[in-house]
Amino acid sequence: MAPQPVMPVDNALEVHDVHVQLGDTAVLRGVHLQVPRGRIVAVIGPNGCGKTTLLRCLLGLQKVDRGEIRLFGKPVGPDVLARVGYVPQRLQIDPSFSLSVREFLALRRRETRFWFWQRHRVTDAVLRETLAELDAVHLLSRPLAGLSGGQLQRVLIAYSLLGAPELLLLDEPTAGVDTPGEHSFYELIASIHRRLGITVMLVSHDLGMVFRHAAWVYALNGVVCCEGRPEEVLDAESLKAAYGIHVAPYQHHHHAGHPHAHPVVAPPGQSVPIAFRKR
Amino acid sequence: MPEFLAEPFMQRALLAAIILGPLCGLLGVFVTARRMSFFSETIAHSALTGVALGFLAGFKEPTVPVLFVCCVLAVAMLWLKEHSSLLTDTIMAVLLSTSVAVGVVLLSLQRSRWADLDKYLFGDILSVSWNDVGIAAGIALTVGIVVFRYLNPLTLLATNEDLAHVSGVRVRPLNYAFVLLVTLTVALGVRLLGIVLVTSLVVIPAATARGFAHNLRQHLLFGILAGFVGASGGVALSYPLNLPTGPTITLTLATLFLVSLVFARARRRAAATSIRTQPGTVP
Repeated sequence: MAPQPVMPVDNALEVHDVHVQLGDTAVLRGVHLQVPRGRIVAVIGPNGCGKTTLLRCLLGLQKVDRGEIRLFGKPVGPDVLARVGYVPQRLQIDPSFSLSVREFLALRRRETRFWFWQRHRVTDAVLRETLAELDAVHLLSRPLAGLSGGQLQRVLIAYSLLGAPELLLLDEPTAGVDTPGEHSFYELIASIHRRLGITVMLVSHDLGMVFRHAAWVYALNGVVCCEGRPEEVLDAESLKAAYGIHVAPYQHHHHAGHPHAHPVVAPPGQSVPIAFRKR
Repeated sequence: MPEFLAEPFMQRALLAAIILGPLCGLLGVFVTARRMSFFSETIAHSALTGVALGFLAGFKEPTVPVLFVCCVLAVAMLWLKEHSSLLTDTIMAVLLSTSVAVGVVLLSLQRSRWADLDKYLFGDILSVSWNDVGIAAGIALTVGIVVFRYLNPLTLLATNEDLAHVSGVRVRPLNYAFVLLVTLTVALGVRLLGIVLVTSLVVIPAATARGFAHNLRQHLLFGILAGFVGASGGVALSYPLNLPTGPTITLTLATLFLVSLVFARARRRAAATSIRTQPGTVP
């Protein structure tokens, strides 16, 4: 019998040689990664590189053809998913659905597990406190379907935090959010990470986010092309390996004489910084 | 006692309306939220095959065959959705037209039953038996208990299935159960409103309630109320006005919907005015 790989349990997340075939396409072709507890990491790559498939595997929504995924040292299952907070890119919510933010958040609380509308002293206080930490307490009575992209992300994070997660997975968290909103959103994630010490994994095609906020980066394109600190990974060669085209990091000067490593990359010869967004 | 209640067939029809109206109003909130209105339309049309098969098999009242065929079609729809790359809309359109064609062909083979087609297309309260009312009451009770027991997971499922999965909801079984509940409710409604109009009892109360509701709790309560008022009011009005019951229920529901549209518009205007008149607000 082949020896099993040794997997220390101080990792929040371990992906070992994961293969996934969707139709005729081998989307993941032997992905390895290990995320130590308490770290803020990013998985980057172009559209179609397997980011979403990897995320679905981590959440137990997609079966792996080969390989192994462990969360907190255990195979993905309901008990271990209870320790995970997931922030989806968007909700499938219809504008005709009048679920309010208060009702939505109450779905995550144990004392209101049967009927979300139960008014409970503890629930109300906890919901207010959680939203206040995210600067979103004014949204409590608003309909969920009427929120802007940035407001919705805050409410979704509040929903995750109410489950006291040890690992927070965010899928393209700032898609549809304007630039100032994006900046404050990542500041928020960083402050949650500092305060609660939880592991955070951001899945994004937005290189700017990586430079500013992630401590460690995995560049994915079917396999993990490279990993390391953002300034190490985001060089021209690594980006070419991940994105398949030639791109170079762009130095943006905020003040004369103070170059600032900016997240934005631009094709060679292009003077205007562009966010690496293909959608 | 109102005059129409002296007639036993009106008593049965009113009782069926009182049972089905609120039930459809409750389920309709989730049906519209999950964009399943066309699903309920497909299920309703498959009832025609159930009616024809029921008569062929020698059933006097086709309620049980209708429930059976509708459930089979619902499961077929879910299976095709999971095991093919076809869009849900396409699957439903194929099944809707096929089941209508099968129903009409089977009915045409039984010349004596051909005249009954109208009854099932547009509803016929004369055909509602005490047996139907009993089945409706039993199913309504079951559906009501299941929906209220699983209200939180059903709500979460309507927002995002992946989020529901991570939150511990067993998504697939609950999806099947919800589809089954809607199927049974729609199949029961066919006797009262007919195949063509039954979807109105599922969709219109929920759409009406949206105009009055500020949150989901109110949406559900107003949906149940609108279903009750629309269905029982329609039955009650059809007798003195000497109108067919199914279309009268639909028109009563549509009137309630219009009132809710006007109300919602007035409420939005009032809210806009109050924002403009607040001190420091730039008009």
